[in-house]
Amino acid sequence: MIKIYSTTHCPYCKMAKDYFDKNKVEYKDYNVEADEEALADMVKKSGQMGVPVIDIDGTIIVGFDRGAIDHVLSHKK
Amino acid sequence: MYDVVIIGGGPAGVAAGIYASRKKLKSALITKDFGGQSVNSASIDNFIGYKSISGADFAKVLEEQLRANDEIEIKDGKFVVSVKKIGDYLFELTDNDGIVYQTKTILYTAGSVYRKLEIPGEKEYEGKGVFYCSICDAPLMKNKPAAVIGGGNSALEAVIDLLPYASKIYLIVRSGIKGDAVYKEKIEKESKVEIINNANTKEIFGDAFVKGLKYQDSTAGEEKTLDVSGVFVSIGWTPNSGLVKDLVKTDIKGHILVDSKTQQSSMPGIWAAGDVADGLYAQIGPAIGEGIVALLNIYDYIISEDKK
Repeated sequence: MIKIYSTTHCPYCKMAKDYFDKNKVEYKDYNVEADEEALADMVKKSGQMGVPVIDIDGTIIVGFDRGAIDHVLSHKK
Repeated sequence: MYDVVIIGGGPAGVAAGIYASRKKLKSALITKDFGGQSVNSASIDNFIGYKSISGADFAKVLEEQLRANDEIEIKDGKFVVSVKKIGDYLFELTDNDGIVYQTKTILYTAGSVYRKLEIPGEKEYEGKGVFYCSICDAPLMKNKPAAVIGGGNSALEAVIDLLPYASKIYLIVRSGIKGDAVYKEKIEKESKVEIINNANTKEIFGDAFVKGLKYQDSTAGEEKTLDVSGVFVSIGWTPNSGLVKDLVKTDIKGHILVDSKTQQSSMPGIWAAGDVADGLYAQIGPAIGEGIVALLNIYDYIISEDKK
């Protein structure tokens, strides 16, 4: 299960979600601006507050790092 | 072998890519992603052709227009790790996957990266209260005090991005506000914004996350402390010219020196455009113009070199 922690206007969050959509990868989006529980989860998982944070089955990626995302996804299959 | 490889997918690189494709040059554009620094703007209101467009949407428009052109090979999600001159009219580039490109010419439009304060605590607290992308991370300052460091447009935009969220916003300016009057007037009207002039930020401190910062008042000379949960560093950008710094001449800040008529660098075969070049104004419009000028000049250069 892929989780993405984002804020409403964050361009890198949008780019990450667009990238998942384009590659037909399913994910659940948590808007930490509105969801304080999700924000607490995000901070706990990543040890920091910047968005986006992407959680791919427990592997945490901070920022829209396409190389890291591709790497984790290719090892997942 | 390529006629031209364009490095970077911001406004300058994309504009050049479209022209390269229409000239039917054998070309490639290598970029991590599209839009360059413009993606960080909540709203771009001074790009002629759009009354208003968000940075993220602008990046999409650029990508779509480039992809509508068939001739150019688009290598996105990649970045170049080395640039070598291997012959008189020949360069070799290697990308992060180890793929090698040989090309007659290079158009370097790698833009710039956030300039750092380089003070104690900045690196340690990056993401833990020290932020560079205000539009991304301003919402995390809900009901918390925050500081913005800088006096240019990006600093004023950061204040505006924080307005709906932060309980208090300190704008810490070293030597006067240089940003646009429209932004300045807007933030001066806000009671929760406090502008601190003549202030040199010295240190960012905290525990697991940022708790505050120290600055020195440069007129009185005394050091003061502000309690804030977030520090948004908006002191401009540093040109991303490291890859070619041994090949081309740069100014002291690292901008690539170019001929203002042609965008050609000091090294024959390498052109630069956009924020990485030494143009006076880092704006989308000039970046696009420079990219186009560079590409047209590259085209002329290839025609004349190929005849030799």
